[in-house]
Amino acid sequence: MVHSLPPRTPRPQPVRRRPRLRLLLASGAASAALVAGTVLPVQPLLPAPQQARAADDGKKVLTVAVSQSVDSLSPFLAQRLVSTTLHRLTYEYLTNYDPKDAHAVPGFATAWQPSASKLTWTFTIRDDSKWSDGVQATAEDAAWTFNKMMTDENAATANGSFTANFKKVTAPDPETLVIELKKPQATMTALDVPIVPKHIWEKVGDFSTFNNDKQFPIVGNGPFIVTDYKVDQYVRLKPNKDFWRGAPKFDELVLKYYKDGDAAVAALQKGEVSFTSGLTPAQAAALKSADNIKVNDAPGRRFYALVTNPGARSKDGATFGNGHPALLDPAVRKALFQAVDRKAIVDRVFQGHAVEGQGYIPPRFGAYFWQPSESQRIAYDPAAAARTLDAAGYRKTGGGKRVGKDGRPLDFRILCHATDPNDKAIGKYLQEWWGRLGIGLKVECLDNVSDPWLAGDYDLAFDGWSVNPDPDYVLSIHTCDALPATPKDTGATDNFICDKEYDGLYAQQAVEYDTAKRAELVKRMESRLYDTGYMNVMAYPNAVEAYRTDQIKSITTMPEAAGNLWGQDGYWSWWSAVPAGDGGGSGGSSSSAGVVIGIGAAVVAAAALGLFVAMRRRSTAEDRE
Amino acid sequence: MTSADPSTPTPSPLPDGPVPSPRSAVPSAASIVRARRRASLIRFWRQYRTHRAGLFGLAGLALVALTALAAPLLVGGDVQSVTRAPGKALEAPSGQFLLGTDQFGRPLLGLLIWGARISLTVGLLAAALSVAIGTLVGVMAGHFGGWPATVTMRITDWFLVMPTLVLAIVLATVMSRSVWTVIVAIGVTSWPTTARLVRAQTIAVESRPYIERARALGGGHGHIMTRHVLPNVMPLVLAQTTLGISSAILTEATLAFLGLGDPTIVSWGGMLQDAREAGAVSSGHWWYLAPPGLAIAFVALAFTLCGRAIETVLNPKLAVPR
Repeated sequence: MVHSLPPRTPRPQPVRRRPRLRLLLASGAASAALVAGTVLPVQPLLPAPQQARAADDGKKVLTVAVSQSVDSLSPFLAQRLVSTTLHRLTYEYLTNYDPKDAHAVPGFATAWQPSASKLTWTFTIRDDSKWSDGVQATAEDAAWTFNKMMTDENAATANGSFTANFKKVTAPDPETLVIELKKPQATMTALDVPIVPKHIWEKVGDFSTFNNDKQFPIVGNGPFIVTDYKVDQYVRLKPNKDFWRGAPKFDELVLKYYKDGDAAVAALQKGEVSFTSGLTPAQAAALKSADNIKVNDAPGRRFYALVTNPGARSKDGATFGNGHPALLDPAVRKALFQAVDRKAIVDRVFQGHAVEGQGYIPPRFGAYFWQPSESQRIAYDPAAAARTLDAAGYRKTGGGKRVGKDGRPLDFRILCHATDPNDKAIGKYLQEWWGRLGIGLKVECLDNVSDPWLAGDYDLAFDGWSVNPDPDYVLSIHTCDALPATPKDTGATDNFICDKEYDGLYAQQAVEYDTAKRAELVKRMESRLYDTGYMNVMAYPNAVEAYRTDQIKSITTMPEAAGNLWGQDGYWSWWSAVPAGDGGGSGGSSSSAGVVIGIGAAVVAAAALGLFVAMRRRSTAEDRE
Repeated sequence: MTSADPSTPTPSPLPDGPVPSPRSAVPSAASIVRARRRASLIRFWRQYRTHRAGLFGLAGLALVALTALAAPLLVGGDVQSVTRAPGKALEAPSGQFLLGTDQFGRPLLGLLIWGARISLTVGLLAAALSVAIGTLVGVMAGHFGGWPATVTMRITDWFLVMPTLVLAIVLATVMSRSVWTVIVAIGVTSWPTTARLVRAQTIAVESRPYIERARALGGGHGHIMTRHVLPNVMPLVLAQTTLGISSAILTEATLAFLGLGDPTIVSWGGMLQDAREAGAVSSGHWWYLAPPGLAIAFVALAFTLCGRAIETVLNPKLAVPR
């Protein structure tokens, strides 16, 4: 269910909580308690309506099921995956990523050149890009966007990390953009900053409150134009016919909200939506055998890790939070990770839809993928874990509990996302694995993990980030620089890690323009991060998605060989999607299961009827009195 | 609503008149009370026996209670273990796993039996809590009257019009996730009905002459409330508890289904939630969904049937003329 991690957010765990209450109320009303389990299954039994895409006027509509709420449609504020995906579709960035291997390809800029000093970058801006209101898009728009982010703190909320090192940005002519840097910056061809139209945005007053969702269509120059948006209901986009790379093939793209994963899958089965993502293993298995549905099981761009609280602290030197002191002992952390069977997690929890965790960056980003050497690897070995604890002085007491030298038992808490089934499932395994070592674990599942996390009030936590083709951001969140300024502030830090050696390497890679040398530095950083032992990557979950082949004839994955469709670093999937011919079968699947569930529902209904009769009898007695 | 009146004078099982000899069989006060209670219990059972639905409910409850108590013997404590799960994920029912397996490969039949423990515990405790609060508020308000009663009754009214489920969801959301949270959330949201009933009954009881007599003899508030009022509202409270259990079990299942229960504990509502999270609904794994749903319906029905039967026995006005 919770699948869409935003690529970058300043929160410790990027799974933003969508407002659940409405869902709860709705399902609460629907479930009416005892029929709870049987009301939902009835849904797929409803007569399948005509396919949505075959609208009356023959428009070819591509409907995508989404669950994550839009945080803002302003490119200066948006951080969630659904919003940044929308911005990819509606605005141009200076450069784009190639769908094959994610190297930088022309976007708003057609060419770029660093100076010999590495401090001045000159971008050539394309002359065939027009804003959707007919105004020519020029280098002036790009310069204005960057200057706004450099001068207005509120405009730097989402992407300020890219412009923090900018000294001066100018547009000497409509086709030239010059960026002067304070020091070299390796991310100059991976500036994930949407360029906005100056003539629209210079009228905006307060960037911290402007959400860009009042006037439609929203003026942009990407392959799609947002024409309508209703919070948690839908986002409608129409193709930009004048898009320089070519107009998209579908007549309309709709992001439709399904807050329940099963409801989205049912809609896909019926043909109401063309695409859905974040499937569970059971859903993927069921859809694989369905007609006209293709399941796309692609290596993910996300890591899924276990982190320990290294002692929360801020830049002013203050420590805060109530993390368990035993976790500051490297031996305890090593023993914990030694007792985690990552293979079992991949096999049993993800049921093969993931890759066993190694280094920090997923293997999909081959250039930066790093694996621990034999000597440093913390392999699964519960017996060794017990020895590690024995050697470090954590003895088992009579009751089978490990206690430290200070007499405090090793009882930990782990922060878990209440909406993520994987967190809960792995929590159960950890409880048993660590329980056998004599370590207690309390799984604290919360809707909002941000509050205890930012306050440092946790021992362990489940953590996960989507990684961009340029790893700068996910590396930056473990530097001392990312710590909050004071305990009251919010820093970009992921887990309060602050390590001098790591920071030194980070500074080196940030100014390294040679990709091979930079990759080498990044790998050394990953090695250092692994050795500090504050986090252990358990798995790289796959992106498990499905789409209707009778609605989408072809679509580009990224990477092209075996890649994902939702949440790409670019607009490739939706821009390239080709509608299928007008055949369009209706979805009539899982009917046998439906019938059986229907019988179950009938039995429950009969029981309810019995209750009702019993009550009736009583009330008639009263009436007769 | 109803007003049970069990305080009809009970014929003493002992002959009236002077005691023949001080030495032989002087019935002490305690033994008289014991004998009288036994007699009324027998009478109660005789009447209860005539309600066939009530007997069905009782038999069903006995079956479920026995299963829950014997769960460690029937399935073993290992059934909850994910690391020692015997099967593969989401297996269909077979000879080895009669109801199939869940996403961890654990046998669903074992989980269903184990889940009965939590569902029954939460149902009983939450209903007891709710009725305890309701009785306390009701007796106090009925006994003291005046402005404190008005205030407490307005609070009761406020709770009465609040949708219970919404309030329980809010409570379960703000408190940490555990079984106790669910018990408290159900308990503190479902007491107003009991409070109203008990208050009405208290007022009715207190208008009787013997209360006035007790007061004239110097009986204080505590004495009257605990010795005279409480025994007379107890039957009503008992019936209310039995009925409350079934709604508490349903609310527990609903909360767990909505993901507000303790995810580390196996309960029937939690099984439904697990099934939903695993995608069992859209992938057609009906054997994961149907048994817990039916079990919830069965237990709730059993408690309701018992509760209705008890109510009818204690309040003859409700009896259907035969």
